[in-house]
Amino acid sequence: MATEDTRVPVTILTGFLGAGKTTLLNRILTEEHGLRIAVIENEFGEIGIDHELVINTDEELFEMNNGCICCTVRGDLIRILGSLMKRRDKFDHILIETTGLADPGPVVQTFFADEEMQDKLKVNAVVTLVDAKHILLHIDDSEEAKEQIAFADVIILNKCDLVTPAELDSLERRIRGMNALAKIHRTTNAQLPIADVLDVGGFNLDRAMELDPHFLEEEEDDHSHCDHEHGHCEHEHGHCEHEHGHCEHEHDHCEHEHDHSDCDHEHGECKHEEHHHHHHHDETVTSVALEHVGDCDGEKLNTWLSELLRTKGQDIFRTKGIVAVRNNPKRIVFQGVHMIMNAADGGPWGDRQRKSVLVFIGRHLDRAELTKAFQACTL
Amino acid sequence: MGLKKYAAVQADDCILNVQWAGDHLCVTPVTGAILILGKEGEITSALPDHGLGNGASSATPDLVATCGFDGRVRLHSLPACEAVAEVKLGRSVIERVVWSPDGQHLAVGFGKNLLILDRKGETVATFGEHQTSVTDAAWNPKNAREVASVSGGGARMWRLGATEPFAKFDWGGASLSVAWSPDGRWLVTGDQTASVHLYDFNRDYPLHIQGYETKVKAMAFSPDGKRLATGGSPMVTVWDCTPKNGPEGSTPGQLQFHQGDVEAIAWSPDGKYLATGDILGRLVLSANDKPVSAFQGENNITSLAWNADSTLLAVGDGDGLVVVFQAV
Repeated sequence: MATEDTRVPVTILTGFLGAGKTTLLNRILTEEHGLRIAVIENEFGEIGIDHELVINTDEELFEMNNGCICCTVRGDLIRILGSLMKRRDKFDHILIETTGLADPGPVVQTFFADEEMQDKLKVNAVVTLVDAKHILLHIDDSEEAKEQIAFADVIILNKCDLVTPAELDSLERRIRGMNALAKIHRTTNAQLPIADVLDVGGFNLDRAMELDPHFLEEEEDDHSHCDHEHGHCEHEHGHCEHEHGHCEHEHDHCEHEHDHSDCDHEHGECKHEEHHHHHHHDETVTSVALEHVGDCDGEKLNTWLSELLRTKGQDIFRTKGIVAVRNNPKRIVFQGVHMIMNAADGGPWGDRQRKSVLVFIGRHLDRAELTKAFQACTL
Repeated sequence: MGLKKYAAVQADDCILNVQWAGDHLCVTPVTGAILILGKEGEITSALPDHGLGNGASSATPDLVATCGFDGRVRLHSLPACEAVAEVKLGRSVIERVVWSPDGQHLAVGFGKNLLILDRKGETVATFGEHQTSVTDAAWNPKNAREVASVSGGGARMWRLGATEPFAKFDWGGASLSVAWSPDGRWLVTGDQTASVHLYDFNRDYPLHIQGYETKVKAMAFSPDGKRLATGGSPMVTVWDCTPKNGPEGSTPGQLQFHQGDVEAIAWSPDGKYLATGDILGRLVLSANDKPVSAFQGENNITSLAWNADSTLLAVGDGDGLVVVFQAV
């Protein structure tokens, strides 16, 4: 049984311009829900709500450790949330709005990569609003739109009144193919229970499997009307181990700055890679879910995942999983963003069937290759 | 040398910073009224807060500047605490303001600009060219017309009257804080990563100190500028800045007086003592790298400030308590 989690939940709201973020945020700020919510919005964002609980900031990206995409985080959030967390009178919830063109990766990574953020805050959900009528106009050309869908725990298909049921079904199938894990809601005027946004509790793979044993069959399974109850999922926590295998720390020493012409950082072993936005057109974002009934070899699995995320992490937006490791009575719960992976104690298996499930959401995912590699780690 | 409790006051929230202004102490909590204390430690005035959160205030002997999440800067006179000016700069959070050493100009990081206000709150300069929000500023103690700003990408050094920076320190990362050594030679930035960048004005030479276990959350130059103390983990690291090459290639002094992470550091103005405070509430006074006095409080120490003649040490904690100690 996990100890009481006192971390403040954070919801990240993404979506293209006009998808309905302002409508949803206004509802969240004005409706009676009994929660005290601080909203952090971009200074130059579309919303511009003048409200005492809205904090304006300027999206500020920086690379924490090296040039890796996984280490790009939001410096403004670290500072402002750090200040908010010092308050005696803590907020019940924090909502972060990103600009329509933002890659949600750095926002999510901020809560994985910065220890203080990880200690005091937990990601409730990445909520992506999708304009059901207009998304098809830019989904093929916009990496940001794909990334916003790929990162989402909750997708709100808004403006459903402007499209036909058949169009909606088709769109939802497309989205489901990109992100097999997200809970999808269909709305008009962003009308949905606020709890569906604020009380997600992180995506709980375990619960999803229990409620819908066929959820791994994402390509055939139509989730458009699924009634998964995610409202009271417990977020796994405990003793997360921050695995940053490729970044090494040294003892205190002082040296002359290296030549910065090629690399801004001093971790020589980390290459500076292209970051911010990657415009690789004609790439498909998909989900691959892998399942094995029985145990895994923990060492082999760790080696494979480390290598996979090190080499392919830029293309893997999110990784989630529950694993049964040989001789370990407890479930290991994984959550990853790009190259960063957290493993947490998921509690004892008890009477449940021991099985391992891994889900990858990303682009260039080779299902056959991933399946083969995963099977090599199973017992 | 010992510490004797002289006065104590309770603010509304975690103390963001304490700063002496002559005989007065300016106490800024994270939220709630900004307090001005008199000679005996009594509250003489409570200045209005800045909405969802205050930024770090700055005080001269006759003027205090406050700021915060409401995008405003307010100036109040001291000791009367009468409103002098209120400037609404916009919607962005203002994280701190800093008076110049002569008390004539106020540096304000606002969005991607460093604004310089005069004593009436009028903007006398706007320094741009920052890639991201300006997070901190530091004036040259040897030249009250020179100021450094930090933002994503590095530091910029500005001179009042000019529109372009007279020096740049581009190292590419992001900084939380900046300090200028009292002798004017060094500029140091505490970074979002576990490192510190130093810039040697004498040689136009950048240095990088890395390998800290945690972010450097506190740093302070000794009054003579010869030593730089940095903290963040339980160990306080003290660098010798006197050699021609500064700390380059040197081994620092490592003070292991704390069990908890050190998040507040202050040298006494007479240079004799280094005060360090940790997240477990322990305050340690050391001299020549040896502890000489200690005090155990109940909450994490967030801010330390000595008065000008090194006789009083103000200690702010995470629960809003400010204790003023007398050095005896």
